[in-house]
Amino acid sequence: MARRTWSRYPRRTFYLFVGPWVAGFLLLTAAPLVYAFAMSLTNFDGSSPRWRWVGFRNYTELLGDEYAWAALFRTIGYTAIVVPLSVAGALGLAVLLNRRLKAVGLWRTVFYLPSVVPVVATAIMWKLVLNRDAGILNTILEPFGVDAIAWLIDPMAFYALIILTLWGLGGGMVIMLAALQGVPKELEDAARVDGAGRWKAFRHVTIPMISPVLYFQVVTGIIATLQIVVQPMLLTETNSISGVAGVPQSTHLYMVQVWEEFFLGNRFGYGSAMLWVFFVIILAFTLLVQRSSRWWVHYEVNSDADR
Amino acid sequence: MTQTVRRRPAHADRAHPHRSRSKRKRRSAGGVYVLLLTLAVVFVGPILWLLLAALKTREEWVAVPTKVLPEQAQWSNFVHALTDINFPAYAMNSLFLATVYAVLITISSAMVGFGFARLRAPGKRAMFLVLLSTMMLPQVLTLLPTYVLFARLGLVNTYWPWVLWGLAASPFLVFLFRQFFAAIPRELEDAAIIDGCGWGRIFVGIFLPLSRPVLITAFLLSFTWSWGDYIAPALLLDVDHTTLSVAITAWYQDPRGNPLPTVQAAAAALYVVPVMLIFLFAQRYFVRSVVASGVKG
Repeated sequence: MARRTWSRYPRRTFYLFVGPWVAGFLLLTAAPLVYAFAMSLTNFDGSSPRWRWVGFRNYTELLGDEYAWAALFRTIGYTAIVVPLSVAGALGLAVLLNRRLKAVGLWRTVFYLPSVVPVVATAIMWKLVLNRDAGILNTILEPFGVDAIAWLIDPMAFYALIILTLWGLGGGMVIMLAALQGVPKELEDAARVDGAGRWKAFRHVTIPMISPVLYFQVVTGIIATLQIVVQPMLLTETNSISGVAGVPQSTHLYMVQVWEEFFLGNRFGYGSAMLWVFFVIILAFTLLVQRSSRWWVHYEVNSDADR
Repeated sequence: MTQTVRRRPAHADRAHPHRSRSKRKRRSAGGVYVLLLTLAVVFVGPILWLLLAALKTREEWVAVPTKVLPEQAQWSNFVHALTDINFPAYAMNSLFLATVYAVLITISSAMVGFGFARLRAPGKRAMFLVLLSTMMLPQVLTLLPTYVLFARLGLVNTYWPWVLWGLAASPFLVFLFRQFFAAIPRELEDAAIIDGCGWGRIFVGIFLPLSRPVLITAFLLSFTWSWGDYIAPALLLDVDHTTLSVAITAWYQDPRGNPLPTVQAAAAALYVVPVMLIFLFAQRYFVRSVVASGVKG
């Protein structure tokens, strides 16, 4: 039987083709994670060769680190505001554009454009818009009797960061627009004929139909938002390069705190411990949302149906 | 939701409600355009404000009350943006890095995507699951330890990290390529196998030429990733080797160390130009990739 001289699929060929990714995954993803875990068990300061193992002392210290806890809760609060708003906003825009409009392409471009602007330019832009004295936002608010708001310092910096993040929700809009266009028109029409109002038809027909896409947006949104670090570093009153010293308290998110431990405190071991704890927290969040998905995500290939 | 979709024979009276609805529709259509216009101002406003700032004098920028339009367009801000710091050199660094990275990652991702779409071997399913889950993995978490590793290997201040990242393929682009390759009819590859082609020649000679749109998408996407990236050059490159994204954030100052917002605005506008051009002329490629990423759910 074992006289296979020719095989359509030689094993080696597959491994050669996917080799680049496997090597990259091992060297650039898995190895750094393992390395970070090893570092987290030391008091390594980034340069000096005189480090030693400290066991789980970094982790126990982290438990009592009120700055880290504050940064974590701030980050979770920020995520809890940004993700629902950006998913809802993207869906709202998509619904607006998913009808017979003049120049649909132009509107879509306008709303989508900000999401492709590089983060550095976005930050510079919003610093100009939110500038206390010269910014356009305060100029617009002034006639309404609003005193000049210092957007870039505490406590308003938090809201400035939220505004900046929401500005880029056009990427999600494009996805949801495609999803909405995939919903058969007859389904909604049928519901309308049955006497459902526009809102009811939307809520009970359209939303379930696009719930897998909504779910994906929520999951990737949570993961991306929790780990935000560049935006708070750049959206500051003063220009300081790769410095986290000038980041206001209210936008001092978890990854900013990690950055500070690494590069201001030279505490690579402690920073690595923070990274690993955060890794576990993000995994937990993802699993939580995944668990919840069975209650609200509707798949067309329903497992109940084939029973 | 199941009960609302249930179809009943539709014999609702049509003529009357239809007419009143169409009138209402016309009125609400105007409202929709007003709403869209307002939103458009919010979305484009910051970009316009940046361009206006780039054309003002410093006095106009800080003037009270705020001047919306400059008296005279100050094109000299752009000259300063290009000459106050070594803008062309940083632009070259950005361009070089983005091009090398984009070319490499497009090729490597196409290869890996082809492997997952067309070839078979034990462990393929498991490997693909790992690949999908790394798309969910927070990138920033691995970046700091990667930096420490690169520093220990002496790769700081070199462009090797970008080469390595490029060779390693991107899970997202791999997924894009896999979806495309998986949809190509099997007969094409059968014919080539009968002709005695190896898989390497099938990939290069048949599948790559067919995948031109995906290749373009992958290249443009990865180019803009690298061009827009701030954190990797900030971590890995020094003053002489860094990219435009780092250079324009902090180095526009007068001799006393005061920031020059109008010049920085001009620099930011120049920095964004390539991305905007790519986006405006190749928007369909962007939309395609974004949609492909979203529909997999």
